[in-house]
Amino acid sequence: MDGIHDLGGRQGFGKVDTGEPEEAFHSDWEARAYGIVRAMRKAPDWTIDEFRFTREQIEPADYLTRPYYDQWLQSYAALMVGSGVASVEEIAGGHTQTGTADLGPPPGPDSVAAEQSRAGVTFDRPEGSAPAFGAGSSVQTKPHAHGGHTRLPSYIRGHTGTVSHVRGTFVFPDDSAKGVDHSEPLYTVAFKASELWPGEGCTHLVHLDLWESYLDAA
Amino acid sequence: MTDHEHKSTGDVHHELHSHLPPEPGLRVKAMESLLIEKGMLDPETVDAWVETYCEKIGPKCGARIVARAWADADFKERLLENGTQAVQDLDDVGWAVAHLKVIENTAELHNLVVCTLCSCYPHAILGPPPNWYKMAAYRSRAVRDPRGVLDEFGVTLAEDIELLVWDSTSELRYLVLPERPAGTQDWDEARLASIVTRNSMIGTQRELPLDGGSA
Repeated sequence: MDGIHDLGGRQGFGKVDTGEPEEAFHSDWEARAYGIVRAMRKAPDWTIDEFRFTREQIEPADYLTRPYYDQWLQSYAALMVGSGVASVEEIAGGHTQTGTADLGPPPGPDSVAAEQSRAGVTFDRPEGSAPAFGAGSSVQTKPHAHGGHTRLPSYIRGHTGTVSHVRGTFVFPDDSAKGVDHSEPLYTVAFKASELWPGEGCTHLVHLDLWESYLDAA
Repeated sequence: MTDHEHKSTGDVHHELHSHLPPEPGLRVKAMESLLIEKGMLDPETVDAWVETYCEKIGPKCGARIVARAWADADFKERLLENGTQAVQDLDDVGWAVAHLKVIENTAELHNLVVCTLCSCYPHAILGPPPNWYKMAAYRSRAVRDPRGVLDEFGVTLAEDIELLVWDSTSELRYLVLPERPAGTQDWDEARLASIVTRNSMIGTQRELPLDGGSA
């Protein structure tokens, strides 16, 4: 989706606010929102990519201006509405009109320490297909994407780069956003910034992690 | 529109935008109350997450990884080879970063991490990302004008230092291993960890002052 979230290389957003205080949360509501998102019972079919795609569809002005954790909560609210777990009216009012959601007990406080001490959700799928490219391969990215969720940013489309790492087989986000657990070889590909943005004096390399179906041999 | 099945996600966001109170604090309160009533949330678990991320998890976890890598060449080799596996050696760092890739700064090379599409970041090692990491200015410019961004952070990178930018487009999570400063040969790991900053592990800081220093 060519949405407002696809920010790489865009211009006009000004300077970075480097003077921000370093504490984890800057207000009580931020901390609470972060905790709620980590602690809540999620419906089983909400993958990280469904969450990301949902956030990408926030109204563009809200995406650029509303606080970050507020956008997380609104994205979970939209997922709840989409799954039929809650209505917009219930979310606005803070009270259920239909009893419990019947998703089983929510995670208890012990789940926090448990998540730190065992392997969490992994995204590699070692049984997946063999990679078509190797380190050093020259590859060209697809010139365009599609209206769904994708991790091929617009600034890199149609450009040629060199595979720096073959990472193994990973869940393919374009499908995962639709709840489909399909996997593909993943590569880290290096691009010369001077070719992405000619005439700007760039000397650096930009690396992106890209799935095989984003790439053709160059 | 009455049929929920045919409502697009964009339509739902539009309705939420119109119906939810504008103040984030009120939205959070309503959401917490609703989730508790729906049986989807235990408020004590919220408390536990907040406490963990305020007190236990944060840049000091990453600093311990960096300090261990500086002090122990064998650990550093394993860390660069398989970050996820190597950090299991350290208490409290845990498994929460499933696919950790550590990238090393040297005298000739500097690394900078960004997520242009959202805000991917090694939460379990560095805590929640700073706001600037999530905002449009950093996300748009880090790939196109990284030297300009570094300059705003007070980092002047010599022309002959190679600059590598890593756009976190997958579930791999990048952590920069800063260079060990000269004059720290006799320091133990705890003292080494005390000078490692959050920004140095993102790549928006390069030199580490021996007296600590901010960000």
